[in-house]
Parts: sequence; structure tokens; C-alpha cells
Amino acid sequence: MAEMWISMGPQHPMTHGLWTLKIKVDGETVVDTVPDLGYIHRGVEKICESRDFTQITTYCDRLCYASANTWSHSYIYAAEDLLGVEVPERAEYIRLIAIELQRIASHLMWLGAYGPDTGNLSVLVWCLREREMMMDLLQEMGGSRMHYNFPRIGGVKRDLPHGFAQRARSKLELFLQRIQEYEALYDESTVFLVRTQGVGYAKAEEMVNHGVSGPNLRAAGVNYDVRWAHPYSVYSELDWEPPVERSSIKGADCYDRYRVRVEEMRISALLTLQALDKMPGGSDTYHEPGDPKLLAKAPSRAPEGTSGYHHFEDSRGESMFYIAGGGEARGKNPYRVSIRSPMFITIPYASKCMIGYKVADIPAIMGSFDPCIGETDR
Amino acid sequence: MSRVVPSSTQKSAAEKMITAVGRMKGCDAQLVERSSGTKSRWTVSIVCDPENWRGLAEKLLTTHEVDYCSLITGIHWPDGPEEKKWEVVYHFLRTGIKNPPDKDGIQQPIITDPTTVKGKLVPLEIEVSIAIPDTRSPMVASVQDLWIGADWNEKETWDLVGIDFEGHKGMRRVLQPHETPTGYHPLQKHHNIRYHGFEEMYDDAQGFSRKPDDVGKVK
Repeated sequence: MAEMWISMGPQHPMTHGLWTLKIKVDGETVVDTVPDLGYIHRGVEKICESRDFTQITTYCDRLCYASANTWSHSYIYAAEDLLGVEVPERAEYIRLIAIELQRIASHLMWLGAYGPDTGNLSVLVWCLREREMMMDLLQEMGGSRMHYNFPRIGGVKRDLPHGFAQRARSKLELFLQRIQEYEALYDESTVFLVRTQGVGYAKAEEMVNHGVSGPNLRAAGVNYDVRWAHPYSVYSELDWEPPVERSSIKGADCYDRYRVRVEEMRISALLTLQALDKMPGGSDTYHEPGDPKLLAKAPSRAPEGTSGYHHFEDSRGESMFYIAGGGEARGKNPYRVSIRSPMFITIPYASKCMIGYKVADIPAIMGSFDPCIGETDR
Repeated sequence: MSRVVPSSTQKSAAEKMITAVGRMKGCDAQLVERSSGTKSRWTVSIVCDPENWRGLAEKLLTTHEVDYCSLITGIHWPDGPEEKKWEVVYHFLRTGIKNPPDKDGIQQPIITDPTTVKGKLVPLEIEVSIAIPDTRSPMVASVQDLWIGADWNEKETWDLVGIDFEGHKGMRRVLQPHETPTGYHPLQKHHNIRYHGFEEMYDDAQGFSRKPDDVGKVK
């Protein structure tokens, strides 16, 4: 049969944002794919060069609307490496709570969006219901629902509000029960199982060579996680194990990637509960913003020739900021900010994964890698 | 207590790599302590000549099992010294990941215990920086065939900074529009951020023909 090229996107229900996937099809079979990105390239790296270190956090929040806190924290850790700040331990616990709640919210957004991708509409509403609980908690911490601008270089914006710990505990305990409802919805749906099992195989070594990390990698039966491999924050103080999926011999399929994310939400909820218990000074005490237990004083300038970077476990894989100091205003601005977006590297790999499958499998395969175009195009 | 890679394991693994890499021609490796938040970590920092980069990259992949290319950054230093007008910084991770074995047709997941990892399985952070002297067409050797993860990183570096990669197959614009004029790379330092009015957006959405008279109006 004659081969032909089809453009999926930039406006397409499969694309989860503005991007094009050009596919070459032979009948119904995908023969070749070419991803085309850059539709919402905003030039964040260039803008950062004319902003000072504290202003950049705001831009990092806007890299990914589903996972704002993990991105701003990713930047903050790199900036702290550059400027050399020792952060108070209480602030690290509060950061961990913010990051893990955001991870749950991000995964719920994905889980909800993956339902319609695979012909299961009702799950979207259920996931957004629980995401609302996480958004409420994050709003209490950061003051906003989407772009929190929560971390500061040297600490956090403010302490946990009065009664936060109690509300967080009850909501997370309820959430841990509700996870079982999603599992029931998905695992008992024949349509979902048929569309995800045995589709989109990805092997561990191949993924590492392609630069794919995070939950997508752990679905293939390895427990690699930046949180233990390059320890940061207070993950070493808490009792947890990264979730690992037992995939098939051919590698991880879409179903494994779904399973590993559900397990990861559980782990994140348990991490948050533990952090609330173990927080130095107790989670019920309140300090005024700017208290030395929350915020350490940080230098505002970085001299030329210095650089800072930090590998960070984002909700979608390993994210990273590389910052070279010594920019405009005598080092008040960075000279160069470079962003490693996990999805920018994963989308070409996910596109390769589709080759050999049917056109109808594309939404299931693409959706299972959790693409986010905001961070991809920067 | 959770299990994370101890700092001492990280340090001794980094030292081992540094002595091996330091013996290579044109390479200078150093142990760097970096710290963010409350934790400090040991990383390998390598400075390499552009001519020896390809040899070093092959060595890193085969001998040291550095299997993961994280980020490639291009930097334009127009005011820098003559021998460093451009710079390419590579960030690698050693993950030590192997395909899980299968037993009787069932895959057995590999659960690495971070407290007992040894040898070439110890996770490491490696930074390689390459300075390029003053030239109109900066270029380093491509490592696209060694780490496929470097493929799109190299495309992006060329697209935004204008540093080309020798031997890179299929170089094209990835973040900029496809019709971007040849030679336009926005992260080069002579391009400034400009303010533009909304009426300009319709005729020249990308601003390629815009006059530089509004430089610095809003920054």
C-alpha cells in the first residue's frame, strides 16, 4: 500500500498542548514519526538573563502549569548551589511537602487526562476532584492556586499555616483510600486494558541512552531515582522506596507506566505524612515570614566564572538548571540560564516508540509518557 | 531512615574517575564539592580541549560507563578572553542501569540498594566544559551517536546559541520557527530583548525585520 505523511497537531486531542507529530503511515501502521516542537517557545532562558535571581522563580513556575512547584524548586536548588546558601532544616521539610503535594497534583492531572485518551471519560472528573484537595493545600501554603512562587533562595516564603498539618493529614488519608477507586476504574475497564497492555514497549537501557528518566524509566523494572542517587532535601531522613513496576520481557508498556504513577502518588502521600510528623519544631508551630528558621540570608550577586547546577526529580523525569553567574548589573543577573526539560528529551523517544503500532495506539502511547509542552518549549 | 547513596561512596568513585581522566591528553579533571539546600555532594568537573573531546566522550561511555546525557549548554562569551569566546558545557549522569533479567519468561526488577552500590554502578555527576576560541562558526564534535539523548540537546544548542556540532545528522530548528533566517541565534549576546507594540505582531510576528530603535525600552 502507498505510504503517506499525516500531521497530528498542532491542534489535536492527542497532543496535550501545541505540538505537531508528523507520522508516516502504511495503511493503519505507523512507519516513521517526526515530532515538531516550539509552538509556545517563550524564550524563558533569554528573559532570565535580564532578571535578577529572585525574579527568575516566577518564570520557573510558569514552565509547567501542572507542576509549578517542582520547577521553581528545581531552579532554587541550582541557584543555592551557585550562591552558596545553607538552608534551615525546617524550610527543607516544608519544601519537601510542597514538592510531593505538587507531584500528586501533577500525576492526578495526568491520570485524569489519560482516561479520555484511552476511552474512559468518567475518570477525569474523579481525578480533578482529588486534585482540588491538593490544590487547596498548596493554596494554603503558597497563596495561589497555580503559580505559587513559593520557594525562596535560602528557604521558603512562609511557614505552614495554622491547622495545616491536621487538614493535610485528613485529606491525604482520604486520598490514599480514593486511589483505590481510580485503580478499580482503570483496572476493571476492559477498554483501558486492551488499549494499554502490550502497546508502546520501552526497555530500560535504551531509555537511559535516550535520556529518558523518572517514572517512565522506573516502569521498566529499575528503581533509579534522582532522589536517592544524588540526594538532596531531606529524603534521606524519611522512610520510602521508589516504586518499581515488574514489566514484561519486552520492556515497559503503557499499562506499566500507568501503574508506576499510581504507586508514586501513594509514595508521595506517605512522604508528606512522614514529613509532617518529623518536622523540626513540629508542624503546628508557626513562624513569621522571614524567620531564620524559614529563610537564611542569601547573597544577591554571583561573581563571574561561578556556576551552579542541580539534578532534580521532577514529576516527569530528571529536570535540571545550569546557571552561569556574572551577568548584567555586576553579577546580580545570571549570565546564562540553561534548562533541562525531561519532556523535551522524552518526546522524540516516545515518538520512536510508536513505530510499528497502529494509528489508534498513538494517543495511548504518547499520553503514557506524560507530555507537558509548557516545559518542553520553554 | 531511607537509603540514599552515601557521600563517601560518591567521593571515592569521583576520585577514581578523576585520576583516570586526568591522565588523558588535553583533559583536566577536578573534584568539586557542590551544595544546595542542606546537602552537599561530590561531582566530577572536566575541562577539555575541543580536539580531544571526541576521544574523551568515547572513553567516558565505554570505560567509565557514563550512560546518560542530561544537558548540553552553549554559552556565548563575546567579552571573554581570545581562547574562550564560546563554551559548551555538558552534564552527564552515571546511572548504572541495566536491563532487568528475565527468569522463566518473567522479568525480575533490579532493586539497587543505594547504601551498598560499588564500582561503576555508583551514580555520579560529570560536568565537561569545552572552550572554543574566537571564530565565526564555532563547532565541536557531535556525540549524537554515543548518547542518543544528546541528539535534541545538540539541535537546541545550535538553534538557540549557534554552536554547530561536527558530524551531527539531521540538524534543524527545534524551538525556533522553521522559517527563522539563517544565522539568527537568539541566545548570542548581541541580541537584546526588545519591547514591541501589538500592531507589530500581525505583520511580523517573529520580529525578524524589526528595527533596533526600541532597544532597552522595556527590559
